[in-house]
Amino acid sequence: MIQINNLSFSFAASEIFNGLNFNVTRGEILSIIGPNGCGKSTLLRLLRGSLKAQAGEILWENIPVGQIPAREMACKVAVVPQSSAISFPYKVRDLVAMGRYPHRKNLLSFQDKADLQAIEQALVMTDILPLAERPVTQLSGGELQRVLLARALAQNGSVLFLDEATSHLDIDHRIELTELLIRLNQEQQTTIVQISHDLDLAAAISQRILMLTEHGNIAAIGSPEKVMTAANLQRVFRVDVKVDSNPFTGAPQIVPLINNSTHQLNGLKIHLICGGGSGKNLLRRLHLAKAVVTAGPLNRGDSDESVATVLNIPVAQELPFSPFAEDTLVVTEKLIEKTGVLVITTQWWGAGNLPCLDLAERAIQQGTPVYLLAQQQDQDYTDGKAWGRIQQLQQRGAKAIRNEEHLLDALSNLTTSI
Amino acid sequence: MSKPVKANKRWIWQLILLASPLLAILISLSAGSLDLSWRELFAILLQGPGTDIEQVIIWQIRFPRALLAGLVGAALSLSGVTFQAVLRNPLADPYLLGVSGGAALGAVTALTCGFQSPIVIPLAAFVGALTALLLVYLVAQAHTCSTHTLILSGVMVGSLAAALLLFLLWRAPADATRQAIFWLAGNLSLADPDWLSWGWLWVGIGFLLLWSQSLNLDLLTQGEETAADLGLQVGSTRLILFVLAGALTACAVALAGLVGFVGLVIPHICRHLWGPGHRLLLPFSALLGSSFLIIADAIARSLYAPAEIPVGVVTAILGAPFFLYLLRRKGGDL
Repeated sequence: MIQINNLSFSFAASEIFNGLNFNVTRGEILSIIGPNGCGKSTLLRLLRGSLKAQAGEILWENIPVGQIPAREMACKVAVVPQSSAISFPYKVRDLVAMGRYPHRKNLLSFQDKADLQAIEQALVMTDILPLAERPVTQLSGGELQRVLLARALAQNGSVLFLDEATSHLDIDHRIELTELLIRLNQEQQTTIVQISHDLDLAAAISQRILMLTEHGNIAAIGSPEKVMTAANLQRVFRVDVKVDSNPFTGAPQIVPLINNSTHQLNGLKIHLICGGGSGKNLLRRLHLAKAVVTAGPLNRGDSDESVATVLNIPVAQELPFSPFAEDTLVVTEKLIEKTGVLVITTQWWGAGNLPCLDLAERAIQQGTPVYLLAQQQDQDYTDGKAWGRIQQLQQRGAKAIRNEEHLLDALSNLTTSI
Repeated sequence: MSKPVKANKRWIWQLILLASPLLAILISLSAGSLDLSWRELFAILLQGPGTDIEQVIIWQIRFPRALLAGLVGAALSLSGVTFQAVLRNPLADPYLLGVSGGAALGAVTALTCGFQSPIVIPLAAFVGALTALLLVYLVAQAHTCSTHTLILSGVMVGSLAAALLLFLLWRAPADATRQAIFWLAGNLSLADPDWLSWGWLWVGIGFLLLWSQSLNLDLLTQGEETAADLGLQVGSTRLILFVLAGALTACAVALAGLVGFVGLVIPHICRHLWGPGHRLLLPFSALLGSSFLIIADAIARSLYAPAEIPVGVVTAILGAPFFLYLLRRKGGDL
């Protein structure tokens, strides 16, 4: 529908695009992502012809964009701007009515039936009917954004350009608007090109994603699964993230690794015996504190195992829902032999994981420090066997630790003393 | 139940406003050095024009004077509304883009060159105003003609004109200087009555053309980019509006000198009363602007009768406090 051939554009001295090639297909949702200042908004302007490219061409159904009159263009494509400073107190309804401008026959004509219907429908769809008589200067950022979307809907174009249109919205309206976009796309085959900073949302709703580098080159274009990879995100945004798939929708989901750790465990080797979700928080915290972490034994599918995999932590794996086999324990023991510290999380003890305590005992014998994180007698389902072993470990020198915070303190002391 | 009451109130305001020019003209006719009671005034009005001294004063002096004031008030308000919308700046007034400077320079040049004729001075002011506008537009157009460049180049052309003006006044004989100052403060007594019908024609056409652009004005208040996205030819539309507003201002300045405040304050008051939609705003601003200036002129003529104080002084003294009151009540959100 829109073809971009060899597009080049620069502002005064700085080059924004140099030889961009891609196209927008009819009826798709295409999200443009990229770091700040890479020219996403400029690209949208070029696409709708409000900026002129220095070289290359943009074709709308084979017609160069420069040859399409402004009014005809406004009937094809509606734009929801980033935000605009509103200084004139138009009523919401009047502002939405401005979207009908390109459909007016002449300047003197008043709103006809189609206009009124389109305006009413836009107000209803964006949930701002109750605001219709309010002056736009009195609205919150999110309300205003919905008004701007309503104005675009009133335009009734077959293409919708959104420049971070959901950025000021709270979660319920963000979801609602996203659903609205999907509905427009599916029911009216509206082609949607949006700039988004919400990468997860972009991945969830887009058929294709266009990822731009900070120099305005195409880093990747294609399906969300293909584009949203940790490697691409690292290259383009210079961030350390993990990409997981959303457990409910299957869409790629970005797990940012925000370093909120005050502890620094520079390279300390730690093995974690955990399971059943008892270790996932600690795994993350240790990873952020830059410890070298290993874990296991863990059953595949255990939530701790998923976290460890996302964080690229080596795990001694066991089949799902099986007791730990001899082989697995051997693998674990090898991991423990290489580690500097062994940590046992607060977990439920049963026949399945009881052998782990033997591994701990051997570690003590080898002089590896062992930390027992807040063990509870009532979580022992082995008729006291596990609890007895834990007491025994403590007598042999394993340290009982009250919570994760204390554990991290103890570990960082260990690092500094080395 | 608060909404219907408000709507009612709005209708009452609109009716008052529609009638206001008539009321203002009546007040204006009764004001001046010749004291007339309302009864005498109505009697003279019913008699129609004639040769009696009172008839002459009312029909041939005060009536044209009121019409002139109305014309200037309407022109200034219309161009104020337009400039505020096109420049998206609530502080914009008809004189922002160097029009005042250019007009003053033209008029004062004529005065200091010894022309006293009521034909030459308005013409000189008119030419000066249009020259300044053209200069501003050419400078701004060299760039993207954004509102910022327009305002900046307007201010620059204005200061250049002001400097030249001061130089002229410094060199001029005292008599011409006094007259120039009187003109600069805004004065309705200088214009030749023959100009009146031409002025009304000019303003009438200007108004109709502007009114036809109401929707475009609405769109421009949303910013150039949004307006263009909604299908407006921003460049040419802005040029048209700019020329129309400039022509109206030039006409007002040529006939009455620099009457301040009307073009700034009247659009604000009207927007406060009827909202920013230009279909209503333009006609109502024209009506209110003319009523306001007719009354201000009546006050200017009668306070120190038979002497006149410059009408610009009255508009500022009336307008500024009212504006401050509105600002205080609405907190800048006018």
